[in-house]
Amino acid sequence: MKPVIVVHGGAGRIFKDREEGARSGVTRAALKGYSILKEGGNALDAVEEAVTSMEDDPHFNAGYGSVLNEKGEVEMDAIIMDGKNLASGAVSAVKCIANPIKLARLVMEKTEHMLLTDHGASLFAKAMGVPEIPGEKLISERSRERWSKNLEPDSNPHEFKKDPGTVGAVAIDNEGNVACATSTGGLTNKLVGRVGDSACIGSGGYADNHVGAISTTGHGESMMKVVLARLILYHMEQGMSPVDAADTALNYMKTRVGGLGGVIVVSNSGGWAARFSTKQMSWATVKDDQLQYGIYTGEIHTSSVIESK
Amino acid sequence: MGTKPVLVVHGGAWAIPDEFAERSILGVKNAVKNGFAVLEMGGSSMKAVEIAVRALEDDAVFDAGHGAVLNADGYVELDAIIMNGKTLAAGAVSCIRNISNPVTFACSVLEKTPYVMLTGTGANQFAEKLGIPQVPVEELVTDHAKAEWEQYRKYKQTVKSLFNTELVHDTVGAVAIDCEGNMACATSTGGITNKMVGRVGDTPVIGSGGYADNLVGAVSATGHGESIMKVTLARLILFHMEQDLHTTRSSMCGSLHYCAEVGEQPPLRHQLLTSLPDPVEAFLQVKLQRKLQILLFTIWRGESMDGEEL
Repeated sequence: MKPVIVVHGGAGRIFKDREEGARSGVTRAALKGYSILKEGGNALDAVEEAVTSMEDDPHFNAGYGSVLNEKGEVEMDAIIMDGKNLASGAVSAVKCIANPIKLARLVMEKTEHMLLTDHGASLFAKAMGVPEIPGEKLISERSRERWSKNLEPDSNPHEFKKDPGTVGAVAIDNEGNVACATSTGGLTNKLVGRVGDSACIGSGGYADNHVGAISTTGHGESMMKVVLARLILYHMEQGMSPVDAADTALNYMKTRVGGLGGVIVVSNSGGWAARFSTKQMSWATVKDDQLQYGIYTGEIHTSSVIESK
Repeated sequence: MGTKPVLVVHGGAWAIPDEFAERSILGVKNAVKNGFAVLEMGGSSMKAVEIAVRALEDDAVFDAGHGAVLNADGYVELDAIIMNGKTLAAGAVSCIRNISNPVTFACSVLEKTPYVMLTGTGANQFAEKLGIPQVPVEELVTDHAKAEWEQYRKYKQTVKSLFNTELVHDTVGAVAIDCEGNMACATSTGGITNKMVGRVGDTPVIGSGGYADNLVGAVSATGHGESIMKVTLARLILFHMEQDLHTTRSSMCGSLHYCAEVGEQPPLRHQLLTSLPDPVEAFLQVKLQRKLQILLFTIWRGESMDGEEL
């Protein structure tokens, strides 16, 4: 099996001055994940590496650079899933750690559980020796600006929904195993303790070797209502291509619950898709040593991996 | 307006010790009476499932609200979900403390916020803002829950032994269809004895612990949470029903088989699901193993399943 990785840096509105940062961020993440796959590494390691790269990148709403909750703090959700055995780990409302996706992986591998939240997740992080980071270190200037702006009396809460959320990755390795990973700071100015799709298996992501793997981004509550990741895989189980399955599900989400979003898909035969109903979604994929990426609908840049290094 | 209302409740899938059997049966009967009264008066399926699950949360014999099992720290942490099949709106809470009726709080999340899920400290702060009374944990803890916690210190031990023995409680839930044909589900739990602090199971995760969609049906699940999550069980069942390839019974059967295959070893086959398809027909499908019994009670067109009138 030729390995494939697809990553996304969030669907929504990407400000013009952030576009270049988003494009280079997703390409960097995809290349990092791909180098693991190229050396025979597994899909889980590849998606974790790609998402970690974007968590560390302040251009994205995950890890450092996460949007702030109403109290001005960073509270994060993340999920990782192994298509081989449906094992999964997730964290919700976790604070003061640099890489929630790594903690999610520890939940999967070191506990009997699938989801740890809030205070319990922090206790577990401590027990695992995950370094505690002062909350302010995760706050970027940009996030603080957006947060203060949203506190102004004339701000429009409806606008909050449009900011790009979430990063994610899906991959298939040379053994044909698929995996997904998703990580986010959530909705800007959200209520403390609000959990979106990214921590919820089937909504923020899902991976099954029998079908493929998905990571989602967009309006969290809408994705939860339609259990978006799992829905796309159902369509693929019925024989739809990744592109058709993604478009059908995104369209259903728009008509049934009025929500917009984006998804990345990899099928168990090595097919892939990056589709979105929002105006923009930063995404990148590497397959056959070829890198492709874009932000706007129809925008696809192609280059070889060697050129891109 | 033409649909005969139906309500199905469950008090969990587990081996019920004799001393609890009578109380458990009374408990589900009481819950279904309360819930069905709402439907009989033309009330909504959302209200009916909330009322039914509240009754089970208030009843200390079930693992939800009062009577919830304890986490590794000996504390009570609760999860719940409620979902509206007409709009797909949902409310869920995870890891909340000191609240008697998580299902009602989940309903508030649905009705009073633009969100689907609230967790932990933030959720509790919101509850305070809403004026939901805080109850001391001692009020929620029963002697039985404490004894179970002391006996099964390691979670692994819990999973391996408790689901096959007599000393475990389980999640509660309800599904309903009202006279307007609208469907709803609700599920509530204290989780599994000795779970890690902050462990969240299937119950509040939409598509796993519950799902409702007027176009297909409503499901509430109970059993080994992690296995249920791996297969997003509630959504899986409805997907099979959408295919209309088999009856509801075999949809559930197929899903249960699949769940058992990917679940923990020894396989935990006692996931109980109640689901309500469209058109109106209630089925209960259960896989029994050794001494496990399933507690449930249904009302179909006003008569109980064994023909006795309420």
